Amino acid sequence: MSNDIFASAADAILKGDSDKAVEAAKKGLGEGIDPVILINEGFIPGINTVGDLFGSGRLFLPELILSANAMQNATDVINAAIPDGQGQSRGRFIIGTVEGDVHDIGKTIVVSLLKANGFEVMDLGRDVSTDRFIEEADKFNADIIGTSALLTTTMEGQRRLEVELKKAGLKERFKTMVGGAPVTQRWAKRIGADAFAENASAAVKMAKALLEPA
Amino acid sequence: MSNDIVTRMGDGERVSLSAEEIREDIQAGTADAAQRGGIPELTAQEQEQLFDIIADPSRIVSVKPGEEVIVTDDGCTMSFYSGQDGGGVGAPLSRMQAVLTYERACGADTTSLGHSDYSYKPVKPIINFEANDYYNTSMMTTAPFFYGAQPNLGLYFQPDGPCPNAAELMPMGKIDEARRAQEEAAGHLTKDLVFVGSRLADVGLEGLNFDTSGSAGDADFMAALQAVAELKRRVPDLPILMGASGEFILGMHGEVEYAGTRLAGLYPQDQVRIIETAGADIAGVAINTATTESLPYNLARAVTFVKAASEASNIPVHANVGMGVCGIPMMEQPPIDSVTRVSKALVQLGKADGL
Repeated sequence: MSNDIFASAADAILKGDSDKAVEAAKKGLGEGIDPVILINEGFIPGINTVGDLFGSGRLFLPELILSANAMQNATDVINAAIPDGQGQSRGRFIIGTVEGDVHDIGKTIVVSLLKANGFEVMDLGRDVSTDRFIEEADKFNADIIGTSALLTTTMEGQRRLEVELKKAGLKERFKTMVGGAPVTQRWAKRIGADAFAENASAAVKMAKALLEPA
Repeated sequence: MSNDIVTRMGDGERVSLSAEEIREDIQAGTADAAQRGGIPELTAQEQEQLFDIIADPSRIVSVKPGEEVIVTDDGCTMSFYSGQDGGGVGAPLSRMQAVLTYERACGADTTSLGHSDYSYKPVKPIINFEANDYYNTSMMTTAPFFYGAQPNLGLYFQPDGPCPNAAELMPMGKIDEARRAQEEAAGHLTKDLVFVGSRLADVGLEGLNFDTSGSAGDADFMAALQAVAELKRRVPDLPILMGASGEFILGMHGEVEYAGTRLAGLYPQDQVRIIETAGADIAGVAINTATTESLPYNLARAVTFVKAASEASNIPVHANVGMGVCGIPMMEQPPIDSVTRVSKALVQLGKADGL
């Protein structure tokens, strides 16, 4: 029976059907399935498939948004059923496009996938100053600061964040992740960022890896 | 095992790999392209030929005499006068001087003119000046002289344009509204492409380049296809090059069609067919370079895709060998060792008709 529910959950996410996703979540909880297992065995395989299909051009942005919304609604139901102190948040992730850069689409997709995978996300939007990243990360008590840059001319904002975090003695407190079309692993290493993500799926994987206990 | 073949990663970093590692990356790259595109992998013989090209100890390689192809210019002249942050060398040349230098000093096969914004929309209000510049320069060039820019649908969304911003509507779940906004924007874009192309044709335009079509998604690509068809109806003899922006058409809308074909998700072998259907004379293909993979991996992918596109097309296929595409590393100044290896492989193994 559990397998049927897991399959329904994954299928609902793949089809972007919020109603069916919520129904599968409620049914699974009603049958006593552990909420964590329900997420991990049912919903996450679904959203991972969505990510893979999107990355290979077989599923498109509107469907991705619907799937992400369905995932969000289902995880809301499941998280509400988890006793306090055992919430399913994988971590707190603050994200934005760096100062001078107004590109938004890629970063927004990252936000959707992070949320769908159980991260608490604060999206600062675009054209975000270094000071604001640090200030908001402090208030949000973020685990990870993610910065996106789509232009070679604005990538410098990612380096600035690393410099300012070090100056303020906060480098050890926040993990940093960089992404965006011209951004590379080499750039991440050069500026001292903790991780580089080439796409939204990779951002989720890297965020999980960053927060794994050493 | 020795690591003695110097190559690069997709972000340009120099690495030394063993022959076995390079062969493994070639196999993985062609397998990935075949799986994604539903096309054949490179044969064992082709993979070995690709290995020989990559492993050649010379810094620069080239095709054999008699196998040379045409290089179509998409904004190369801008590299003379734009600054380093724009990928140029900042030489103090006017546009005309840059075109003539490129043709006469560099021996270019074709040359081109473009607005510094490199989008069609900003050209509309200054079309008289642009047509005048094109005409004056064309009186001094000998090689085919294109006018080129990107369709760039993004400029038609608020706050830069008249249509509601699809990138804001979509994350809010307003999918129907986002799709309508893209369709409306595509209508404006097609009109502008046809307007600029027609006005330049009036002064003797020798070729028009819709460069990086589809960069804002499938509606962007559709608008360019519609413009190609309309321009061919109005000016049948105007040569048009339509180049894609990635290895598959991004489905930002997801449902737009051209000639009964859904555009989202089309891979190069289908992109070139639809470009041909619209009436273009040359199809450009662009295969994504993965910055975290090696040049052997990226080039094997690119050759696999380009070969399939060349076989599918009845019009010439020109592979984009600019920064971050078709195996070229993602570097502002692409390294010559990579550029020449990519060029040779795409022509000899990918059967590209031009670059």
